[in-house]
Amino acid sequence: MDKYQQKAIRMMEWLMLIAAILLVIIGKLTGDTFFLRLATEALIFGGLALSVDLLLGIVGLLSLGQALYFGFGAYLSAVILRDWIPSFWVCILTVTFASALLGWITSYIALRSKGVYFALISFGLAQVFAKSIYNTRSLGASDGMVGVPIIQIPLPFVTLNLGDAVTFFVITFIFMGSIYFALKYFLYTPLGRIWAGVRSNESRLPYLGYNTAAPKRIAFILAAMVAGVSGALYPMLRGFVSPELMYFSVSGNAVITVVLGGVGTLIGPLFGSSLLMILKSVIGTLTLHHHIVIGLIFVVLVIFAPKGIVGMLSTKLKNRGVR
Amino acid sequence: MSLPILQAKSLNKNFGGLRAVGQVTFDVDPLGVTSIIGPNGAGKTTLFNLLSGLYIPDEGQLLMNGEDITQLDPVARLSRGMARSFQITNLFFDLTVEQNLQLASQKLESWPKLFYATSKSPLTLQRAQELLEEFHLEAKKDESAGALSHGEQRRLEIAVTMALRPKILLLDEPTQGMSQGDTQETSQLIAQLAKNVTILLIEHDVELVMDLSKHVIVMAQGEKIAEGNPRDVRSNPIVQTAYFGDAA
Repeated sequence: MDKYQQKAIRMMEWLMLIAAILLVIIGKLTGDTFFLRLATEALIFGGLALSVDLLLGIVGLLSLGQALYFGFGAYLSAVILRDWIPSFWVCILTVTFASALLGWITSYIALRSKGVYFALISFGLAQVFAKSIYNTRSLGASDGMVGVPIIQIPLPFVTLNLGDAVTFFVITFIFMGSIYFALKYFLYTPLGRIWAGVRSNESRLPYLGYNTAAPKRIAFILAAMVAGVSGALYPMLRGFVSPELMYFSVSGNAVITVVLGGVGTLIGPLFGSSLLMILKSVIGTLTLHHHIVIGLIFVVLVIFAPKGIVGMLSTKLKNRGVR
Repeated sequence: MSLPILQAKSLNKNFGGLRAVGQVTFDVDPLGVTSIIGPNGAGKTTLFNLLSGLYIPDEGQLLMNGEDITQLDPVARLSRGMARSFQITNLFFDLTVEQNLQLASQKLESWPKLFYATSKSPLTLQRAQELLEEFHLEAKKDESAGALSHGEQRRLEIAVTMALRPKILLLDEPTQGMSQGDTQETSQLIAQLAKNVTILLIEHDVELVMDLSKHVIVMAQGEKIAEGNPRDVRSNPIVQTAYFGDAA
Protein backbone atom coordinates (compact mmCIF):
# COMPACT_ATOMS: atom_id res chain seq x y z
CA MET A 1 0.00 0.00 0.00
CA ASP A 2 1.70 3.23 -1.10
CA LYS A 3 1.44 6.62 0.62
CA TYR A 4 -1.14 7.90 -1.88
CA GLN A 5 -3.43 4.98 -1.15
CA GLN A 6 -2.97 5.56 2.57
CA LYS A 7 -3.82 9.22 2.03
CA ALA A 8 -6.90 8.26 -0.01
CA ILE A 9 -8.01 5.90 2.76
CA ARG A 10 -7.60 8.61 5.41
CA MET A 11 -9.62 11.01 3.28
CA MET A 12 -12.39 8.46 2.91
CA GLU A 13 -12.42 7.75 6.64
CA TRP A 14 -12.99 11.46 7.26
CA LEU A 15 -15.58 11.60 4.49
CA MET A 16 -17.50 8.73 6.09
CA LEU A 17 -17.42 10.49 9.46
CA ILE A 18 -18.57 13.80 8.00
CA ALA A 19 -21.35 12.10 6.02
CA ALA A 20 -22.49 10.29 9.16
CA ILE A 21 -22.57 13.51 11.20
CA LEU A 22 -24.50 15.29 8.42
CA LEU A 23 -27.01 12.45 8.22
CA VAL A 24 -27.59 12.57 11.96
CA ILE A 25 -28.01 16.35 11.94
CA ILE A 26 -30.42 16.27 8.99
CA GLY A 27 -32.33 13.38 10.56
CA LYS A 28 -32.65 15.22 13.86
CA LEU A 29 -33.64 18.54 12.25
CA THR A 30 -36.12 17.27 9.68
CA GLY A 31 -37.42 14.18 11.44
CA ASP A 32 -37.16 12.37 8.09
CA THR A 33 -35.42 9.10 8.88
CA PHE A 34 -35.68 7.43 5.45
CA PHE A 35 -32.05 8.10 4.52
CA LEU A 36 -30.83 7.25 8.01
CA ARG A 37 -32.44 3.83 7.83
CA LEU A 38 -31.00 3.37 4.36
CA ALA A 39 -27.55 4.35 5.61
CA THR A 40 -27.89 1.97 8.56
CA GLU A 41 -28.72 -0.88 6.21
CA ALA A 42 -25.79 0.12 3.97
CA LEU A 43 -23.45 -0.06 6.97
CA ILE A 44 -24.80 -3.47 7.98
CA PHE A 45 -24.18 -4.85 4.49
CA GLY A 46 -20.88 -2.93 4.58
CA GLY A 47 -19.93 -5.18 7.51
CA LEU A 48 -20.55 -8.20 5.30
CA ALA A 49 -18.42 -6.61 2.58
CA LEU A 50 -15.67 -5.95 5.15
CA SER A 51 -15.55 -9.66 5.90
CA VAL A 52 -15.30 -10.43 2.16
CA ASP A 53 -12.48 -7.89 1.85
CA LEU A 54 -10.62 -9.44 4.78
CA LEU A 55 -10.62 -12.74 2.90
CA LEU A 56 -10.25 -11.46 -0.66
CA GLY A 57 -8.21 -8.29 -0.36
CA ILE A 58 -6.02 -9.15 2.61
CA VAL A 59 -5.54 -12.94 2.42
CA GLY A 60 -6.41 -13.53 -1.25
CA LEU A 61 -9.34 -15.91 -0.76
CA LEU A 62 -12.41 -15.18 -2.88
CA SER A 63 -15.48 -16.20 -0.88
CA LEU A 64 -18.69 -16.52 -2.87
CA GLY A 65 -20.64 -17.66 0.16
CA GLN A 66 -19.98 -15.13 2.87
CA ALA A 67 -23.75 -14.56 3.15
CA LEU A 68 -23.83 -17.90 4.98
CA TYR A 69 -22.34 -16.27 8.10
CA PHE A 70 -24.35 -13.08 7.63
CA GLY A 71 -27.58 -15.05 7.36
CA PHE A 72 -26.56 -17.31 10.23
CA GLY A 73 -25.96 -14.25 12.43
CA ALA A 74 -29.28 -12.74 11.34
CA TYR A 75 -31.27 -15.90 12.07
CA LEU A 76 -29.56 -16.54 15.40
CA SER A 77 -30.14 -12.92 16.36
CA ALA A 78 -33.83 -13.19 15.42
CA VAL A 79 -34.27 -16.41 17.41
CA ILE A 80 -32.51 -14.98 20.48
CA LEU A 81 -34.35 -11.65 20.45
CA ARG A 82 -37.81 -12.99 19.59
CA ASP A 83 -37.91 -16.36 21.34
CA TRP A 84 -35.31 -16.22 24.08
CA ILE A 85 -34.23 -12.90 25.54
CA PRO A 86 -34.54 -9.43 23.95
CA SER A 87 -31.06 -8.37 25.06
CA PHE A 88 -28.69 -6.62 22.67
CA TRP A 89 -25.55 -7.70 24.51
CA VAL A 90 -26.59 -11.35 24.94
CA CYS A 91 -27.48 -11.42 21.26
CA ILE A 92 -24.22 -9.85 20.04
CA LEU A 93 -22.00 -11.97 22.28
CA THR A 94 -23.80 -15.21 21.41
CA VAL A 95 -23.73 -14.48 17.68
CA THR A 96 -20.03 -13.56 17.86
CA PHE A 97 -19.07 -16.84 19.51
CA ALA A 98 -21.46 -18.95 17.44
CA SER A 99 -20.18 -17.38 14.19
CA ALA A 100 -16.61 -18.04 15.27
CA LEU A 101 -17.53 -21.65 15.96
CA LEU A 102 -19.31 -22.01 12.62
CA GLY A 103 -16.36 -20.36 10.88
CA TRP A 104 -13.95 -22.71 12.63
CA ILE A 105 -15.94 -25.81 11.62
CA THR A 106 -16.54 -24.75 8.01
CA SER A 107 -12.91 -23.65 7.64
CA TYR A 108 -11.95 -27.32 7.71
CA ILE A 109 -14.08 -27.82 4.61
CA ALA A 110 -13.41 -24.57 2.75
CA LEU A 111 -9.68 -24.17 3.41
CA ARG A 112 -8.88 -27.59 2.00
CA SER A 113 -8.71 -25.90 -1.37
CA LYS A 114 -7.45 -22.68 -2.96
CA GLY A 115 -8.39 -20.29 -5.75
CA VAL A 116 -11.50 -21.04 -7.74
CA TYR A 117 -12.11 -24.25 -5.79
CA PHE A 118 -12.22 -22.33 -2.53
CA ALA A 119 -14.72 -19.94 -4.15
CA LEU A 120 -16.90 -22.83 -5.29
CA ILE A 121 -16.80 -24.60 -1.92
CA SER A 122 -17.72 -21.40 -0.07
CA PHE A 123 -20.57 -20.91 -2.57
CA GLY A 124 -21.73 -24.50 -2.09
CA LEU A 125 -21.65 -24.29 1.70
CA ALA A 126 -23.87 -21.20 1.66
CA GLN A 127 -26.31 -22.87 -0.73
CA VAL A 128 -26.57 -25.94 1.53
CA PHE A 129 -27.29 -23.77 4.57
CA ALA A 130 -29.74 -21.54 2.70
CA LYS A 131 -31.72 -24.50 1.38
CA SER A 132 -31.71 -26.13 4.81
CA ILE A 133 -33.14 -22.97 6.39
CA TYR A 134 -35.61 -22.68 3.51
CA ASN A 135 -36.95 -26.11 4.42
CA THR A 136 -36.94 -25.71 8.20
CA ARG A 137 -40.48 -24.98 9.35
CA SER A 138 -39.48 -23.96 12.89
CA LEU A 139 -37.40 -21.13 11.36
CA GLY A 140 -40.27 -19.95 9.19
CA ALA A 141 -39.16 -21.91 6.12
CA SER A 142 -39.47 -19.84 2.93
CA ASP A 143 -41.38 -17.06 4.74
CA GLY A 144 -38.56 -16.41 7.18
CA MET A 145 -39.13 -15.11 10.70
CA VAL A 146 -41.14 -11.99 11.49
CA GLY A 147 -41.94 -10.17 14.69
CA VAL A 148 -38.46 -9.46 16.00
CA PRO A 149 -39.04 -6.90 18.77
CA ILE A 150 -37.52 -3.45 18.96
CA ILE A 151 -34.51 -3.64 21.26
CA GLN A 152 -33.45 -1.39 24.12
CA ILE A 153 -29.78 -1.18 25.12
CA PRO A 154 -29.40 -0.38 28.81
CA LEU A 155 -26.22 1.58 29.56
CA PRO A 156 -25.13 2.91 33.00
CA PHE A 157 -26.83 6.30 32.69
CA VAL A 158 -29.14 5.96 29.73
CA THR A 159 -31.17 3.37 27.86
CA LEU A 160 -30.85 3.47 24.09
CA ASN A 161 -33.87 2.64 21.99
CA LEU A 162 -33.05 1.00 18.67
CA GLY A 163 -36.52 1.94 17.45
CA ASP A 164 -35.12 5.44 17.09
CA ALA A 165 -33.48 5.72 13.65
CA VAL A 166 -30.80 8.17 14.77
CA THR A 167 -29.80 6.00 17.72
CA PHE A 168 -29.69 2.86 15.61
CA PHE A 169 -27.59 4.59 12.98
CA VAL A 170 -25.10 5.91 15.54
CA ILE A 171 -24.81 2.50 17.23
CA THR A 172 -24.26 0.78 13.86
CA PHE A 173 -21.74 3.42 12.81
CA ILE A 174 -19.75 2.96 16.04
CA PHE A 175 -20.04 -0.80 15.70
CA MET A 176 -18.77 -0.93 12.12
CA GLY A 177 -16.15 1.72 12.85
CA SER A 178 -14.79 -0.43 15.68
CA ILE A 179 -14.68 -3.52 13.46
CA TYR A 180 -13.01 -1.51 10.71
CA PHE A 181 -10.28 -0.12 12.97
CA ALA A 182 -9.73 -3.51 14.63
CA LEU A 183 -9.20 -5.15 11.23
CA LYS A 184 -7.02 -2.26 10.11
CA TYR A 185 -4.88 -2.73 13.23
CA PHE A 186 -4.29 -6.37 12.27
CA LEU A 187 -2.84 -5.31 8.92
CA TYR A 188 0.07 -3.68 10.72
CA THR A 189 0.90 -6.69 12.89
CA PRO A 190 3.14 -9.64 11.99
CA LEU A 191 -0.06 -11.65 11.52
CA GLY A 192 -1.24 -9.11 8.94
CA ARG A 193 2.14 -9.36 7.22
CA ILE A 194 1.74 -13.15 7.01
CA TRP A 195 -1.73 -12.65 5.50
CA ALA A 196 -0.15 -10.36 2.91
CA GLY A 197 2.44 -13.08 2.30
CA VAL A 198 -0.29 -15.67 1.77
CA ARG A 199 -1.99 -13.38 -0.73
CA SER A 200 1.22 -12.53 -2.53
CA ASN A 201 3.08 -15.87 -2.66
CA GLU A 202 1.77 -18.57 -0.34
CA SER A 203 4.12 -21.30 -1.52
CA ARG A 204 7.18 -19.29 -0.42
CA LEU A 205 6.07 -18.95 3.20
CA PRO A 206 7.08 -22.45 4.43
CA TYR A 207 10.67 -21.57 3.46
CA LEU A 208 10.44 -18.58 5.78
CA GLY A 209 9.25 -20.84 8.59
CA TYR A 210 5.49 -20.34 8.35
CA ASN A 211 2.78 -22.96 8.17
CA THR A 212 0.02 -21.08 6.39
CA ALA A 213 -2.92 -23.14 7.63
CA ALA A 214 -3.26 -21.37 11.00
CA PRO A 215 -3.07 -17.76 9.73
CA LYS A 216 -5.62 -18.57 7.03
CA ARG A 217 -7.91 -20.19 9.57
CA ILE A 218 -7.66 -17.17 11.86
CA ALA A 219 -8.66 -14.90 8.96
CA PHE A 220 -11.50 -17.19 7.97
CA ILE A 221 -12.87 -17.29 11.53
CA LEU A 222 -12.50 -13.51 11.92
CA ALA A 223 -14.35 -12.99 8.64
CA ALA A 224 -17.14 -15.30 9.81
CA MET A 225 -17.40 -13.32 13.07
CA VAL A 226 -17.55 -9.96 11.26
CA ALA A 227 -20.20 -11.23 8.84
CA GLY A 228 -22.16 -12.90 11.66
CA VAL A 229 -22.20 -9.83 13.89
CA SER A 230 -23.20 -7.62 10.96
CA GLY A 231 -26.03 -10.04 10.22
CA ALA A 232 -27.11 -9.90 13.87
CA LEU A 233 -27.95 -6.22 13.43
CA TYR A 234 -30.20 -6.87 10.43
CA PRO A 235 -33.32 -8.21 12.24
CA MET A 236 -32.94 -5.45 14.83
CA LEU A 237 -33.33 -2.95 11.99
CA ARG A 238 -35.88 -4.69 9.78
CA GLY A 239 -37.78 -6.80 12.30
CA PHE A 240 -37.59 -9.93 10.14
CA VAL A 241 -35.20 -12.37 8.49
CA SER A 242 -35.61 -14.57 5.41
CA PRO A 243 -33.60 -17.32 3.69
CA GLU A 244 -32.71 -14.86 0.91
CA LEU A 245 -30.13 -13.39 3.29
CA MET A 246 -27.99 -16.47 2.66
CA TYR A 247 -28.50 -16.54 -1.10
CA PHE A 248 -25.81 -16.04 -3.67
CA SER A 249 -27.22 -12.62 -4.58
CA VAL A 250 -26.21 -11.36 -1.12
CA SER A 251 -22.73 -12.94 -1.30
CA GLY A 252 -22.31 -11.68 -4.87
CA ASN A 253 -23.43 -8.17 -3.93
CA ALA A 254 -20.81 -8.14 -1.16
CA VAL A 255 -18.07 -9.05 -3.66
CA ILE A 256 -19.33 -6.32 -6.04
CA THR A 257 -19.29 -3.86 -3.14
CA VAL A 258 -15.67 -4.74 -2.36
CA VAL A 259 -14.58 -4.35 -5.99
CA LEU A 260 -16.50 -1.09 -6.26
CA GLY A 261 -14.89 0.37 -3.13
CA GLY A 262 -11.39 -1.00 -3.62
CA VAL A 263 -10.12 -4.51 -2.86
CA GLY A 264 -7.86 -4.79 0.18
CA THR A 265 -8.57 -1.30 1.51
CA LEU A 266 -11.26 -2.13 4.14
CA ILE A 267 -12.70 1.40 3.97
CA GLY A 268 -13.59 0.74 0.31
CA PRO A 269 -16.21 -1.91 1.11
CA LEU A 270 -17.94 0.35 3.66
CA PHE A 271 -17.92 3.18 1.14
CA GLY A 272 -18.92 0.90 -1.73
CA SER A 273 -21.84 -0.45 0.27
CA SER A 274 -23.13 3.07 0.91
CA LEU A 275 -22.70 3.98 -2.75
CA LEU A 276 -24.49 0.85 -3.92
CA MET A 277 -27.36 1.56 -1.53
CA ILE A 278 -27.67 5.15 -2.78
CA LEU A 279 -27.58 3.97 -6.41
CA LYS A 280 -30.24 1.36 -5.72
CA SER A 281 -32.60 3.76 -4.02
CA VAL A 282 -32.08 6.68 -6.42
CA ILE A 283 -32.27 4.60 -9.60
CA GLY A 284 -35.06 2.52 -8.04
CA THR A 285 -37.25 5.62 -7.89
CA LEU A 286 -36.69 6.22 -11.62
CA THR A 287 -37.12 2.72 -13.03
CA LEU A 288 -38.25 -0.72 -12.00
CA HIS A 289 -35.31 -2.18 -13.90
CA HIS A 290 -32.71 -0.62 -11.63
CA HIS A 291 -30.64 -3.82 -11.55
CA ILE A 292 -29.87 -3.38 -15.26
CA VAL A 293 -28.67 0.17 -14.73
CA ILE A 294 -26.62 -0.75 -11.66
CA GLY A 295 -25.09 -3.68 -13.55
CA LEU A 296 -24.06 -1.38 -16.38
CA ILE A 297 -22.61 1.17 -13.95
CA PHE A 298 -20.63 -1.64 -12.32
CA VAL A 299 -19.24 -2.79 -15.69
CA VAL A 300 -18.20 0.77 -16.58
CA LEU A 301 -16.59 1.31 -13.17
CA VAL A 302 -14.61 -1.93 -13.35
CA ILE A 303 -13.35 -1.02 -16.84
CA PHE A 304 -12.37 2.55 -15.99
CA ALA A 305 -11.55 2.19 -12.28
CA PRO A 306 -10.46 -1.42 -11.72
CA LYS A 307 -8.97 -0.57 -8.33
CA GLY A 308 -12.27 0.84 -7.10
CA ILE A 309 -13.02 4.18 -5.54
CA VAL A 310 -9.94 4.11 -3.31
CA GLY A 311 -7.75 3.29 -6.30
CA MET A 312 -9.33 6.08 -8.34
CA LEU A 313 -8.80 8.59 -5.54
CA SER A 314 -5.20 7.54 -4.86
CA THR A 315 -4.38 7.79 -8.58
CA LYS A 316 -5.80 11.34 -8.60
CA LEU A 317 -3.72 12.22 -5.53
CA LYS A 318 -0.62 10.75 -7.15
CA ASN A 319 -1.16 12.70 -10.37
CA ARG A 320 -1.53 15.88 -8.38
CA GLY A 321 1.56 15.02 -6.33
CA VAL A 322 -0.25 15.48 -3.01
CA ARG A 323 2.10 14.79 -0.10
CA MET B 1 38.40 -32.32 11.32
CA SER B 2 34.87 -31.03 12.01
CA LEU B 3 31.74 -33.14 11.54
CA PRO B 4 29.76 -32.56 8.33
CA ILE B 5 26.83 -30.17 8.78
CA LEU B 6 24.84 -32.05 6.15
CA GLN B 7 25.06 -35.68 5.07
CA ALA B 8 23.11 -37.15 2.17
CA LYS B 9 23.11 -40.94 2.13
CA SER B 10 21.96 -42.81 -0.97
CA LEU B 11 19.18 -40.36 -1.83
CA ASN B 12 16.74 -41.60 -4.47
CA LYS B 13 13.82 -39.83 -6.10
CA ASN B 14 11.73 -41.20 -8.94
CA PHE B 15 8.94 -39.49 -10.88
CA GLY B 16 6.98 -42.35 -12.38
CA GLY B 17 9.50 -44.34 -14.38
CA LEU B 18 12.07 -41.53 -14.40
CA ARG B 19 14.88 -41.66 -11.87
CA ALA B 20 15.53 -37.97 -11.17
CA VAL B 21 18.06 -38.58 -8.40
CA GLY B 22 19.72 -41.95 -7.87
CA GLN B 23 21.95 -43.13 -5.03
CA VAL B 24 23.40 -39.70 -4.33
CA THR B 25 25.71 -39.62 -1.33
CA PHE B 26 27.83 -36.69 -0.16
CA ASP B 27 28.85 -34.68 2.89
CA VAL B 28 28.88 -30.91 3.31
CA ASP B 29 31.47 -29.58 5.73
CA PRO B 30 30.73 -26.46 7.78
CA LEU B 31 31.37 -22.99 6.37
CA GLY B 32 32.65 -22.10 2.94
CA VAL B 33 30.95 -22.90 -0.34
CA THR B 34 30.18 -26.41 -1.58
CA SER B 35 28.80 -26.43 -5.11
CA ILE B 36 26.73 -28.82 -7.14
CA ILE B 37 27.28 -28.60 -10.87
CA GLY B 38 26.09 -30.59 -13.83
CA PRO B 39 24.55 -30.18 -17.26
CA ASN B 40 20.86 -29.36 -17.71
CA GLY B 41 18.65 -32.21 -16.52
CA ALA B 42 21.35 -33.59 -14.23
CA GLY B 43 18.94 -33.55 -11.25
CA LYS B 44 20.50 -30.65 -9.35
CA THR B 45 17.26 -28.82 -8.57
CA THR B 46 15.48 -32.08 -7.68
CA LEU B 47 18.35 -32.79 -5.28
CA PHE B 48 17.91 -29.29 -3.80
CA ASN B 49 14.21 -29.96 -3.40
CA LEU B 50 15.04 -33.15 -1.52
CA LEU B 51 17.51 -31.34 0.69
CA SER B 52 15.12 -28.46 1.49
CA GLY B 53 12.07 -30.65 2.16
CA LEU B 54 9.93 -29.82 -0.87
CA TYR B 55 10.24 -33.49 -1.85
CA ILE B 56 10.69 -36.47 0.45
CA PRO B 57 13.13 -39.04 -0.98
CA ASP B 58 11.84 -42.46 -1.98
CA GLU B 59 14.93 -43.96 -0.37
CA GLY B 60 17.94 -42.71 1.49
CA GLN B 61 18.65 -40.57 4.49
CA LEU B 62 19.48 -36.94 5.15
CA LEU B 63 21.28 -35.88 8.32
CA MET B 64 21.82 -32.35 9.56
CA ASN B 65 24.35 -32.06 12.37
CA GLY B 66 23.83 -35.78 12.91
CA GLU B 67 20.02 -35.49 13.23
CA ASP B 68 17.85 -37.37 10.75
CA ILE B 69 15.79 -34.73 8.92
CA THR B 70 14.71 -36.91 5.98
CA GLN B 71 10.99 -36.70 6.73
CA LEU B 72 10.87 -33.10 7.99
CA ASP B 73 8.99 -30.39 6.09
CA PRO B 74 10.63 -27.06 5.09
CA VAL B 75 9.31 -25.29 8.21
CA ALA B 76 10.95 -27.83 10.52
CA ARG B 77 14.18 -27.76 8.49
CA LEU B 78 14.29 -23.97 8.72
CA SER B 79 13.86 -24.15 12.49
CA ARG B 80 17.01 -26.32 12.51
CA GLY B 81 18.87 -23.72 10.48
CA MET B 82 18.40 -24.68 6.82
CA ALA B 83 17.22 -21.98 4.40
CA ARG B 84 17.00 -21.95 0.63
CA SER B 85 16.62 -19.61 -2.30
CA PHE B 86 14.98 -20.44 -5.61
CA GLN B 87 16.15 -20.64 -9.20
CA ILE B 88 13.24 -18.48 -10.34
CA THR B 89 13.01 -15.38 -8.16
CA ASN B 90 10.46 -16.21 -5.49
CA LEU B 91 9.54 -13.09 -3.55
CA PHE B 92 6.45 -11.26 -2.36
CA PHE B 93 6.30 -8.98 -5.35
CA ASP B 94 3.49 -6.69 -4.21
CA LEU B 95 5.12 -6.05 -0.84
CA THR B 96 7.89 -3.50 -0.43
CA VAL B 97 11.51 -4.55 -0.01
CA GLU B 98 11.32 -3.67 3.68
CA GLN B 99 8.08 -5.62 4.13
CA ASN B 100 9.66 -8.67 2.46
CA LEU B 101 12.52 -8.51 4.94
CA GLN B 102 10.22 -7.89 7.91
CA LEU B 103 8.10 -10.86 6.93
CA ALA B 104 11.22 -13.00 6.70
CA SER B 105 12.60 -11.69 10.02
CA GLN B 106 9.53 -11.65 12.23
CA LYS B 107 9.96 -15.32 13.15
CA LEU B 108 12.70 -14.05 15.47
CA GLU B 109 9.97 -12.71 17.75
CA SER B 110 7.98 -14.79 20.25
CA TRP B 111 4.57 -15.83 18.92
CA PRO B 112 2.39 -13.48 21.04
CA LYS B 113 4.07 -10.64 19.13
CA LEU B 114 2.05 -11.84 16.13
CA PHE B 115 -0.77 -9.70 17.47
CA TYR B 116 1.28 -6.62 18.38
CA ALA B 117 1.89 -3.81 15.93
CA THR B 118 5.04 -4.47 13.90
CA SER B 119 6.38 -1.17 15.24
CA LYS B 120 6.58 -2.94 18.63
CA SER B 121 8.68 -5.81 17.29
CA PRO B 122 12.26 -4.57 17.81
CA LEU B 123 13.99 -7.81 16.73
CA THR B 124 12.11 -7.78 13.41
CA LEU B 125 12.80 -4.13 12.72
CA GLN B 126 16.46 -4.43 13.68
CA ARG B 127 17.08 -7.54 11.56
CA ALA B 128 15.28 -6.06 8.54
CA GLN B 129 17.43 -2.92 8.85
CA GLU B 130 20.63 -4.98 9.12
CA LEU B 131 19.71 -6.87 5.96
CA LEU B 132 18.85 -3.68 4.08
CA GLU B 133 22.33 -2.39 4.85
CA GLU B 134 24.20 -5.66 4.33
CA PHE B 135 22.62 -6.26 0.94
CA HIS B 136 22.74 -2.61 -0.18
CA LEU B 137 18.98 -2.32 -0.54
CA GLU B 138 18.33 0.59 1.81
CA ALA B 139 17.67 3.08 -0.99
CA LYS B 140 15.02 0.73 -2.37
CA LYS B 141 13.32 -0.20 0.87
CA ASP B 142 9.99 1.46 0.06
CA GLU B 143 9.78 0.12 -3.49
CA SER B 144 7.73 -2.95 -4.18
CA ALA B 145 9.85 -6.04 -4.80
CA GLY B 146 8.25 -6.38 -8.22
CA ALA B 147 9.64 -2.98 -9.27
CA LEU B 148 13.29 -3.88 -8.59
CA SER B 149 15.80 -4.75 -11.30
CA HIS B 150 16.55 -8.44 -11.80
CA GLY B 151 19.90 -8.15 -10.02
CA GLU B 152 18.30 -6.41 -7.04
CA GLN B 153 15.58 -9.03 -6.87
CA ARG B 154 18.17 -11.81 -6.77
CA ARG B 155 19.99 -9.96 -3.99
CA LEU B 156 16.74 -9.52 -2.07
CA GLU B 157 16.05 -13.24 -2.55
CA ILE B 158 19.31 -14.06 -0.75
CA ALA B 159 18.66 -11.41 1.92
CA VAL B 160 15.25 -12.95 2.65
CA THR B 161 16.80 -16.39 3.12
CA MET B 162 19.43 -14.93 5.47
CA ALA B 163 16.85 -13.28 7.73
CA LEU B 164 16.72 -16.02 10.36
CA ARG B 165 20.52 -16.43 10.44
CA PRO B 166 20.56 -19.95 9.02
CA LYS B 167 23.44 -22.35 9.57
CA ILE B 168 23.29 -23.69 6.04
CA LEU B 169 22.07 -21.80 3.00
CA LEU B 170 20.99 -23.56 -0.18
CA LEU B 171 21.37 -21.17 -3.12
CA ASP B 172 19.78 -22.29 -6.40
CA GLU B 173 21.46 -20.44 -9.27
CA PRO B 174 21.71 -17.08 -7.51
CA THR B 175 23.28 -15.36 -10.53
CA GLN B 176 20.83 -16.63 -13.13
CA GLY B 177 20.05 -13.96 -15.71
CA MET B 178 22.37 -11.41 -14.12
CA SER B 179 24.65 -8.99 -15.94
CA GLN B 180 28.40 -9.48 -15.57
CA GLY B 181 28.62 -6.66 -13.04
CA ASP B 182 25.77 -8.03 -10.92
CA THR B 183 27.27 -11.53 -11.10
CA GLN B 184 30.58 -10.22 -9.80
CA GLU B 185 28.86 -8.36 -6.99
CA THR B 186 26.82 -11.45 -6.02
CA SER B 187 29.94 -13.60 -6.13
CA GLN B 188 31.63 -11.29 -3.64
CA LEU B 189 28.51 -11.32 -1.49
CA ILE B 190 28.44 -15.13 -1.41
CA ALA B 191 32.13 -15.27 -0.53
CA GLN B 192 31.48 -12.83 2.31
CA LEU B 193 28.47 -14.81 3.60
CA ALA B 194 30.41 -18.09 3.44
CA LYS B 195 32.68 -16.89 6.23
CA ASN B 196 29.82 -17.34 8.69
CA VAL B 197 27.35 -19.66 6.96
CA THR B 198 27.72 -22.96 5.15
CA ILE B 199 26.64 -22.44 1.56
CA LEU B 200 25.51 -25.16 -0.79
CA LEU B 201 25.35 -23.70 -4.27
CA ILE B 202 23.89 -24.77 -7.59
CA GLU B 203 25.34 -22.62 -10.34
CA HIS B 204 25.71 -22.75 -14.11
CA ASP B 205 28.60 -20.31 -14.19
CA VAL B 206 31.48 -22.78 -13.93
CA GLU B 207 34.16 -20.13 -13.49
CA LEU B 208 32.25 -18.62 -10.58
CA VAL B 209 31.86 -22.06 -9.00
CA MET B 210 35.54 -22.85 -9.36
CA ASP B 211 36.50 -19.49 -7.84
CA LEU B 212 34.15 -19.68 -4.87
CA SER B 213 34.00 -23.33 -3.89
CA LYS B 214 36.14 -25.37 -1.58
CA HIS B 215 34.37 -28.55 -2.68
CA VAL B 216 32.49 -29.39 -5.87
CA ILE B 217 30.01 -32.20 -6.51
CA VAL B 218 29.30 -33.09 -10.12
CA MET B 219 26.04 -34.66 -11.22
CA ALA B 220 24.91 -36.12 -14.51
CA GLN B 221 21.69 -37.95 -15.32
CA GLY B 222 20.57 -37.94 -11.69
CA GLU B 223 23.75 -39.44 -10.28
CA LYS B 224 26.86 -38.10 -8.65
CA ILE B 225 29.75 -38.76 -11.01
CA ALA B 226 32.56 -37.00 -9.17
CA GLU B 227 33.46 -34.76 -6.26
CA GLY B 228 36.52 -33.07 -4.89
CA ASN B 229 38.27 -29.74 -4.80
CA PRO B 230 37.78 -27.51 -7.86
CA ARG B 231 41.17 -28.30 -9.39
CA ASP B 232 40.65 -32.09 -9.17
CA VAL B 233 37.14 -31.83 -10.54
CA ARG B 234 38.24 -29.67 -13.43
CA SER B 235 40.89 -32.18 -14.45
CA ASN B 236 38.71 -35.26 -13.92
CA PRO B 237 38.23 -36.93 -17.35
CA ILE B 238 34.77 -38.29 -16.42
CA VAL B 239 33.62 -34.76 -15.57
CA GLN B 240 35.15 -33.37 -18.73
CA THR B 241 33.27 -35.92 -20.80
CA ALA B 242 29.93 -35.60 -19.02
CA TYR B 243 29.90 -31.90 -18.27
CA PHE B 244 32.32 -30.04 -20.46
CA GLY B 245 31.89 -32.36 -23.49
CA ASP B 246 34.28 -34.68 -25.28
CA ALA B 247 36.14 -31.78 -26.88
CA ALA B 248 37.34 -30.61 -23.46
